[in-house]
Amino acid sequence: MRKIMPNRQQNPKAKQRSSLTFRMNILFFSIFVLFSVLIFRLGYLQIVKGEDYVRELERTEEVRVNTSVPRGRIFDRYGRILVDNQPENAITYTKMQTTKSAEMLEIAEKLAHLIEQPTDKVTYRDKLDFWILRNQEDALAKVSQEEMTKFRNENEELETKEINQEFDRRIRERITDKELEQLTEFDLEVLAIYREMMTGYNLSPQIIKGESVTPEEFARVSEQLADLPGVNTTTDWKRVRQSPLAILGRTTVPSKGVPKSKLNFYLARDYSRNDRVGESYFEAQYEEILQGEKSVVKNITNKKGQVVETVTTFDGLPGKDLVTTLDVELQQKADEILERQLLDLKSKNGSELLDRAFLVAMSPKTGELLSVVGKKIEKDKETGKPYIVDYSYGTFTTAYEAGSTVKAATVLMGYNEGVIKPGTRMLDSPMRIGNITLNTLFNKHGSVILDDLTALERSSNVYMFKIAMGIGGRTYSPGMRFSLAPGTLQTIRNEYAQFGLGVPTGLDLPGETVGYQAEPDTDVKLLNLAIGQFDTYTTMQLAQYISTIANGGYRIQPRMLKEIRNPSKDGKYLGQVVEEVSPTILNKIENSEAEIAHVQEGLRRVYFGVNGSAKRQFETADYTGAGKTGTAEVVYYGPQRDKWKTNTINIVHVGYAPFENPEIAYAIIYPWATTIFNNNYLPHANLTARELVDSYFELKNKYAEEGLSTSKVEKSIIKHSDEKLDEDEEVETVNE
Amino acid sequence: MDTNNYNFNKRFDWPLTTILFIFFGVSLLAIASAQTSGQYVTNFVPRQILNYAIFAFIVAFVMYFDPDQYKKLAWPLYGFGLLLLIAVVAIPTSTGITVERNGAQSWFETPIGSIQPAEFMKTFFILATAYLISKHNERYQIKTIKSDFMLLGKIAATLIVPLSLIMLQPDLGSGLVFFAITAALVIVGGVTWKIILPLFGGAAVIGGSLLWMALYMQDFLEKAFGFQPYQFARIYSWLDPYSYATSDGYHLITSLNAIGSGEIFGKGFMAREVYVAENHTDFIFAVIGEEWGFVGASAVICLYFLLIYHLTKMTLLLKDPFCTYVCAGIIAMITFHVFENIGMTIQLLPITGIPLPFISYGGSSMMGNALAIGLVYSMKFHYRTYMFTTNDPDNE
Repeated sequence: MRKIMPNRQQNPKAKQRSSLTFRMNILFFSIFVLFSVLIFRLGYLQIVKGEDYVRELERTEEVRVNTSVPRGRIFDRYGRILVDNQPENAITYTKMQTTKSAEMLEIAEKLAHLIEQPTDKVTYRDKLDFWILRNQEDALAKVSQEEMTKFRNENEELETKEINQEFDRRIRERITDKELEQLTEFDLEVLAIYREMMTGYNLSPQIIKGESVTPEEFARVSEQLADLPGVNTTTDWKRVRQSPLAILGRTTVPSKGVPKSKLNFYLARDYSRNDRVGESYFEAQYEEILQGEKSVVKNITNKKGQVVETVTTFDGLPGKDLVTTLDVELQQKADEILERQLLDLKSKNGSELLDRAFLVAMSPKTGELLSVVGKKIEKDKETGKPYIVDYSYGTFTTAYEAGSTVKAATVLMGYNEGVIKPGTRMLDSPMRIGNITLNTLFNKHGSVILDDLTALERSSNVYMFKIAMGIGGRTYSPGMRFSLAPGTLQTIRNEYAQFGLGVPTGLDLPGETVGYQAEPDTDVKLLNLAIGQFDTYTTMQLAQYISTIANGGYRIQPRMLKEIRNPSKDGKYLGQVVEEVSPTILNKIENSEAEIAHVQEGLRRVYFGVNGSAKRQFETADYTGAGKTGTAEVVYYGPQRDKWKTNTINIVHVGYAPFENPEIAYAIIYPWATTIFNNNYLPHANLTARELVDSYFELKNKYAEEGLSTSKVEKSIIKHSDEKLDEDEEVETVNE
Repeated sequence: MDTNNYNFNKRFDWPLTTILFIFFGVSLLAIASAQTSGQYVTNFVPRQILNYAIFAFIVAFVMYFDPDQYKKLAWPLYGFGLLLLIAVVAIPTSTGITVERNGAQSWFETPIGSIQPAEFMKTFFILATAYLISKHNERYQIKTIKSDFMLLGKIAATLIVPLSLIMLQPDLGSGLVFFAITAALVIVGGVTWKIILPLFGGAAVIGGSLLWMALYMQDFLEKAFGFQPYQFARIYSWLDPYSYATSDGYHLITSLNAIGSGEIFGKGFMAREVYVAENHTDFIFAVIGEEWGFVGASAVICLYFLLIYHLTKMTLLLKDPFCTYVCAGIIAMITFHVFENIGMTIQLLPITGIPLPFISYGGSSMMGNALAIGLVYSMKFHYRTYMFTTNDPDNE
């Protein structure tokens, strides 16, 4: 900096000059500071933080690859296979990140000589791609250099990628159909193979030909593997259901992949798009357990991002096996019984609305579902011939009026709300309410004094109406109109909900419904709620309801999963138990043990009492049991729209056996069984129940014998076969 | 004009030429490596050689005239620049004369390439303002606060017209360059510190508080000043690019990765690993930082510093205030370009579209700089005889 002279007589110009120098120096100094800041910052980034940035670039990438670990199998409660994996030969191709399309094309051509590939999946776009690949010069000639140069000059802001896209688009546009016809059958086959190769993910084997591969093709390709880098002959597997039971659910096939509607759900969980996943019911519910874990490989990349090595860091785990609570033999018997009774019922007059039937059998103490049966008659659209389909999921996705079967709940509600006590007697005679007459089926005109037990045994409607009126704060006087206290509806529904009626049962399958709960516009309709003729319930809810009474008041979650086991090696011997599912009690009803026992006695009389409504079917049984019949008069709102509002009858049955120590509880519904009302006695639901329980005890004896015999599966899981249905059954794992 | 060889050698600025030759080499190496990233298909190296040839031609042409001519030409050139700026905004792109890129209508489309008038306007503005200040100082030899305010008013009026036209394009980067030039000229122009300190201090406070409000009081800024949310995004993507990995944030991350991983000695020529978009123009410093490391990058910064030092030293020898002001303006212009461009690649400043002088690929920027550098050559060439005299002859 120039020294400023202390000369006061400096001329203005000199003064200006020195000030200018000073200011230039200030400017220069500021610039020096700015540049120093740059260098300091640069030093911080490159010297202090440099290693961090280098590490950032070298960060290796871990990739989960689909190595197709087998999905877990599904067994019944005795280890009998329900859903299996069937191995099948497959020719796969694994693409690397660095694989070029030309290399793939070359391999596709070699493969096309060795295998037959169907060409039906080849699309127009595929053909265009392929034609360009095959006729690169002709393709390039379609769009002249000048044209593209012109386009580039017109659109300078476009990046190379975009310009290339436009170039590509123009070429495709100009390929004629005639040119595409040049592709030979062989070309198309190469293309069909090539497109399969392209759809694969890097490092994940992609199946080129699976199911349909012949042993000869498999052998030919196996011999040539050395010339076919990336190609492998391997074993894939196919999901095979050994049971027609629909609630076991389905899985998607690899070509379909994960369902589009849940794509993000699965992608967020490390699935890839072409994974097989459980699509419905049991397979969907336990997808995560069945799926297994994919192997993980780590790509070691060099600084340029090229993969130099791939190391497997985790081999993957096959999916766990699931043992269901189902008894496949009982299921088959129940299937047969229900189907036979349904067809018999269908053969009767007035059955034009009938098309379905349901049965649920569960262990009332554990909630384990033993059989879940649903049958539906469908008509072939072309021939009009009826056939029966599995409609097992209808047991929890469809609901019907259950009729008198709910009366046990009504009586327990009466106790709980203080309207009646065990043993309370009331008059059953036709009730006149305004101009409507309500009566009991067995006593349409007379007057009988009944206690609660007889009311259940003979299925008195009037007794139940009076309980409901009592809850509504009214007593009956003939001919009088009345109105029930506000909140009566809710009180009754809350009471029923304790048994699982009208609420979710907690079933471990997706898609459960709770039935239809309308708003009654008259109090008479509300009274009908007490005899099961207003709200609708699913078969599953009824099974839970009767189980609650059978087991002494515990509402228990019905479930299909019994155990999670390590994968079985061969589908015969079960693997080690990973987890045993324990029963879930959802709530306990508010009644006392004595009250429950009293109602149980009423239900026993239904089977074995002098006037029991199911006496005819059960008096000959050599076991004890209890149950309740139901005949609901309903209005049809089923699938036949033209028949809507027709009056019809649901026939229903719930029950359990043995009476003292219940092992099986069941609910059976034949919705819209008949449209004929003139005392047409239809024993089908009761018969179904009787046959089911008979089968159950027959099988129990058979298992007991086999349990002592040499059945390896049986022996491997169940030690004391006579206790096998008990809540606290002992399980021993076989040592392999 | 005296062009005998001995005199020419004495009068010609050889050191500056040497520095520019080094820049030429650096530019070609950096662009050659940068374009291997394949963002564009064009080979930019021959085009940059051509740009340098045009650069040399313009420098020679500008050098031919002496500073007195430029005093006369200052206002006409300024007017010409304004006309170009008006034209580039006013002529619709549909005519094919102007083009819009990245949302800014800043270019003329000509047969020899795109021309950005703002690049020339910078130099024209320096000329006009320097002339204005020298005239003012001649008239008001005894300075008062009043005369200083008058000077500031004149400078502001000269600034506001081109600045508004540039903000219409809009081109924030070039706009900031005008501020930097103005600031330097206000300091060198002799405005009293009593005005400068509060003025610059106030500007710093306002700028600082706007930044603070952008971070903590967006609602207020949106309501009171009508800022748009995307304008805040630029600030966020600068301060926290990893959370705001939008295009700017991502750009910054790639740039930081590239420069940071260069470490001390760099990865060597063409051994780049990180893809940084626009690395042959605005982000060329990322290539230098990555391939040449801290050593190379610092050397480039030092080279700029050497250039500035050379210009400053020469400025101090010039007797004519007009020439001093012009040089100061040029110094400010180059400094700001360098500081903003390098600063944005190393997260010191937010990203704006400003090229690195003499190194970035780009015709307009090279031509604009050629005008400025040509002026420097001209002053040295034509004023050499006066430089070491102690007397102060009247140059008017």
